[in-house]
Amino acid sequence: MNKIEAKNVNVFYGEKQALFDINMDIQEKQVTALIGPSGCGKSTFLRCLNRMNDVIDICKVEGEIKINDYNINQKGTDVVRLREKIGMVFQKPNPFPKTLYENISYGPEIHGMAQSKDELDQIVEDSLKKAALWNEVKDRLNEPGTGLSGGQQQRLCIARAISVKPEVILMDEPCSALDPIATAQIEELIDELKKEHTIVIVTHSMSQAARVSQQTGFFHLGKLIEVGSTDKIFKNPDQLQTQDYITGRFG
Amino acid sequence: MTEAPHTVKSYEEELKNLNSNIIKMGGFCEEALGKAIQAITTRNSDNAESVIQEDEKIDKIETMIEQQVVNLIALRQPMAIDLRESVTALKISSDLERIGDLAKNISKRTLLLNENLPKNLVDALIRVSTNVQKQLKAVLDAYLERSSAVAIKVWESDEQIDDLTNLCMNEVISYLKDNEKNLEDGTHLLFVTKNIERIGDHTTNVAEQVYFLVTGEYLEGDRPKGTEPIVTGEK
Repeated sequence: MNKIEAKNVNVFYGEKQALFDINMDIQEKQVTALIGPSGCGKSTFLRCLNRMNDVIDICKVEGEIKINDYNINQKGTDVVRLREKIGMVFQKPNPFPKTLYENISYGPEIHGMAQSKDELDQIVEDSLKKAALWNEVKDRLNEPGTGLSGGQQQRLCIARAISVKPEVILMDEPCSALDPIATAQIEELIDELKKEHTIVIVTHSMSQAARVSQQTGFFHLGKLIEVGSTDKIFKNPDQLQTQDYITGRFG
Repeated sequence: MTEAPHTVKSYEEELKNLNSNIIKMGGFCEEALGKAIQAITTRNSDNAESVIQEDEKIDKIETMIEQQVVNLIALRQPMAIDLRESVTALKISSDLERIGDLAKNISKRTLLLNENLPKNLVDALIRVSTNVQKQLKAVLDAYLERSSAVAIKVWESDEQIDDLTNLCMNEVISYLKDNEKNLEDGTHLLFVTKNIERIGDHTTNVAEQVYFLVTGEYLEGDRPKGTEPIVTGEK
């Protein structure tokens, strides 16, 4: 089932067009990987999905992006609510300069998701457990989040993202600053999270896209060249450009 | 699809090297089969001896190809066409190695034959083996040229080889029935005929691999089959 449907999406940074007529369906409770060389528009597309491009003054987004059949680009859309439903994890772990506990509790609190301290405690514990971090930090919830290792910080950011129960999680190169062990932990987490969430991940690692995703889209020069099952894209893509890119033949 | 060269030149070289080893191995097999057939049909022991000795060359190149593929997978993590190149090289080399073994076995039996063979039997052997040799050459050309069309053609003509094998088997059976003295030679000839047919089967396997290499798809449906093999010689 389609969770997200992008139709004729065009994005401009001032005069420069960054995305050209992107049409892409994203399946519910699956991992979709967006790949392509630097500057191809994959992160721009990712940021369209929760209107993060709104914060860039010169950026203009055209076209339709429907999530649960609702066009998020239509007037009157509450972007705060939208970003509650569509969480995001960035390349560099960016915990708040607060305690571990507060990093997680902040979202549920401002969205009024907990009626009592006990409920909030429960959300914090559940989120940290889902992010496979609970056992490592349960005894030091009052220490600053910035004191964790890089991999732990990234899992903390994932825990923070899932604490508000988003339907979709967007990940922009979430492992590029992590070592292979921390990367494997995040990948295992992605596998778990897809049972309840739809995940879209931008990655420069071909093998990561192949390992974690079920659907892959290849972007080049602002165009979506090919999208299909990950299996097909990495074994026998339809487009020569896709094959040249994934096999390291890109000139 | 015509691929651009890899950005990393050493990777490009490794894949080219693998490719040329398959071609080289295919060439050795063609030569072995040609010599083995010539040896049995003309009673040329030198050729038979040479096939037996040269088989080691085929085995060695198979081992080399296997090592190359394992290295490619471990160190380069090939994808798409590169992955298919690696996987099919492994499978094709294993079929070619079997072809080499079967040619060697034909030659061993050639050295054990006591009598000159009757002309009709030699003709039947030549008919089926010429066909198999043609197929082997065609499938190696298909690999070299990345031609799925030629691969399909080879795959489809396995049927013909089956039919010619049966005709040859019939000749051998008549030869066996002719004279009790023929029992030993005739038995060897049954195996020789079967070996030639098996080489045809391995050639068809290679055709399937070439098709997969080029298209990324598997040849579907049952392999075309000729008439039922003769088991007793009685109709």
